[in-house]
Parts: sequence; structure tokens; C-alpha cells
Amino acid sequence: MMNCEDLNEALVDLVDGRLDGAGQRTVERHLEGCGNCRALVEDLRSIRAAAFMLDRREPKAETWSKVRAAIAAEPAPRGRLLDMGRGRRGVNWPVWLGAAAALILATVIGLLPLMNRPQPAHDDTAQGAGGDPAPEVTVESVTAEFEAAEKHYQKAIDDLQTIANKDTGELDPQVAAVLQKNLTVIDQAITESRAALRSQPSSANAQSGLFDALRSKVAVLQQTVELINEMRKGNQAEAGRRAQTLAQ
Amino acid sequence: MAPSNPAGDVKSADLDLVGRIRSGDGAAFETLYRQHATRLYNLASRMTGAHGEADDLLQDIFLLAYRKLGSFRGESSLGTWLYRLAMNHCLDVLRNRQTRMGHQTDSLDEPDAAPVASPVPVLGAVSRIDLERAIDSLPPACRAAFLLHDVEGFGHQEVGTMLGISEGTSKSQVHKARMRIRSYLAHGGKKLES
Repeated sequence: MMNCEDLNEALVDLVDGRLDGAGQRTVERHLEGCGNCRALVEDLRSIRAAAFMLDRREPKAETWSKVRAAIAAEPAPRGRLLDMGRGRRGVNWPVWLGAAAALILATVIGLLPLMNRPQPAHDDTAQGAGGDPAPEVTVESVTAEFEAAEKHYQKAIDDLQTIANKDTGELDPQVAAVLQKNLTVIDQAITESRAALRSQPSSANAQSGLFDALRSKVAVLQQTVELINEMRKGNQAEAGRRAQTLAQ
Repeated sequence: MAPSNPAGDVKSADLDLVGRIRSGDGAAFETLYRQHATRLYNLASRMTGAHGEADDLLQDIFLLAYRKLGSFRGESSLGTWLYRLAMNHCLDVLRNRQTRMGHQTDSLDEPDAAPVASPVPVLGAVSRIDLERAIDSLPPACRAAFLLHDVEGFGHQEVGTMLGISEGTSKSQVHKARMRIRSYLAHGGKKLES
């Protein structure tokens, strides 16, 4: 029977969604009977979610000009790189894994503009990276951002699918099927949330529903990236646990 | 199936980019800048709390990267190498600032915040401003791990490589940071007593 101290050790993995099925069930049994731990977990999840959603500000456009000018006065860096062929000789992992990780990351990045609503820059002039005033946030601008992100997302998924289809034998079909099913459910939630937001553009509930659905999608994609990272490292035990979590 | 370098394509891209920079291809260094500038800008800004000086910090980081690119051999990804360099620079900035102000740098052994025991969640929706303040209040070591893991989304192993600590230490630092942030927010943003 798990106690509060045991839970403390599992907290990081629990909040990060990295516990395997058995671990998750043990924790849930403890949480059912312990209000303090339940509250703690909820708070830590809120903090993690808020951290992920923090604003991403852009550096000023002139910063690159300054960097360029500074390096122009420097001698070119010299050094020796590893033999580029050496790493490839040992590769027997499907090529699509690296590309898949990149595509999924690109998808997450594509969704971020939607989730990080425009905020004033840090400087006192409250101007954007290029010195222009921050754009006004309107229903139209959010919709346009969504549509852009949606296109970006769809292209990434299409590309991912094409690459994955070449090596379907390397992907656990059960994990792939459950992942696809989960993504379909989330996609449906996103579609419904979009429809609700269209009919009630100023509804806080509709906005919150859309962002919740997007957050779910990002979480699944993040878990997928983490799984791929473990596979890349050749850590089969951890990859197996993450695949199991992803397939639940 | 034990891949020695499964991320072969990604690594080749890194090596190719570095090779181009070393051969004097200015566009290649701009590519590196465009790939990482925004994340490094936000990371450096939050890490040092010097929000108004983040552009200067970013400039310093990329100039330093250019000067040190000769030491990059491709043993880790270029991104990991660059973030490690950036975090070291930020920690140097903090150390210099603390030295000037007569403060001591925190150590990894700093005690945890007093836990908040409550049968109901003490936080509602966490506001962006409150969270930014809470992050500013963290000791540098756990702030670095929290920013890399929870804000930037790196895995614990990558965070460990970037900060020169083990994966387990990264987990404990992130946990410490979350607990401290919870205490900070639960106490209405008052400075934490260790």
C-alpha cells in the first residue's frame, strides 16, 4: 500500500505523465484516499501546464545585425569534427524516427502561437521585436492563427504518415493503432471546440474548450517525442514503458 | 536493436552546418541563430531575470558560440552544446551579479521549501505574471532545470547534459522548483524561507 512518502518519490514522473500502467494505478489508489496528496498533484500539474504555456517573446530584429557585425570582426572558428560517416555506419534504427521527432516538434511549435497569446514585449516601449506595436488580438486574428497552425499541423502529419508508412514493420502496430485512435478523439474534440467557438466567439467556455483540446494534443505529441527519444537512445525498457503509457 | 547513433540525420545536419560556418559561410551562422534565438532569448531572460537586457545577453551568447565553435566536435547535438554554453553564460552572469551584491551563490544542497499541506488545491488557475515572479524567486540551480524541462520541454537526460548534472539530479531539481513555486504562490508571492 503506497503512503504519502512513497508518492513523493513518484511525483515527478506522475506529473510528467511518465508512470507506467501499474505505477499509475498504485498512485491513483493512494490519491483516492488522500486529499492532501490529491491537492498537491493537482497544483503541481497546474504549475507544469502554466509553465508550458508561458509567453514566448521574440528578440529584437536588430540583435541579429549586431551579432553579424560582431562575428564579422572575428576569425572563422576552427576545429575538428567527428567523422560524419562514422555515426551512420552503426545506424540500424529506422530513418523515419529522427524525421518523425522533427515533424512532431514542428507540429508542436506550429501550435504554440495559438497557445501563447500575444503579449506586450518586456521593454518599456511595449513594442514588438521589430519596433512595431504589438498586434491587437481579435477573434479574426486568433482564427487566422488557428488556421495557419492547422495547415502546418496537417502537413506535418501527412509527411509523418508518408515516412512512417515506409517502415511500418518497425512500429508496434498496437501502439500505433491506439495512438491513432487517441489522436482521432482529440481531433474530434478540436473540431467540436472550433465549431463552438465560431458560434460563440466571446464565450470563455468555448475558448477554454479549444485550448484544453489543443493542450491534450500537445501532451500526446510530447509523449510520442519522449518515446521516440528513448527509442533513439536504445533504451528499450524505458521505451516499452512509455509506449505502454501512450497506448493506455 | 542497439543504435549507436540513431539520430544520424539530425547529427549530420549539425555537422554540415558547423562545417559551413567554419568555411566562412555567413548564411550558415544566421541559420543557427534563427533556429535557436527565440528559445535562447526567453531562456536567458528568465534565467537571469534581466528581462530588459535579454537582447544583449543573446548577442553575447551567440558571439561566445561563434568563438567556441572550434571546440564543437559533434559528440552531442549542436542544440545541446549551444544550450549548455548559454546556461553556463547565464550562471556566470548571475554569479558576477551576486558577487557584486555580496551574495553567495546557492548550492544544489539548498533546503527544500516548507511543504504546504492542504486537502484542497491551493492554486487556482496559475497566472502568467505570478508564475514569472515565482520563477524569478527560485535558486539558480533549480530555476535552470525548471526552465529547461517545464518551460522549454527538454527531457531530463538532455537537461542533465546541458547543466552537467545527472538525469536523477535534474528530476530532483525540477521537483524542488515546482514545490517552491507552489509554496510561493500559496503564500501570495512572499519570499520563501528555506
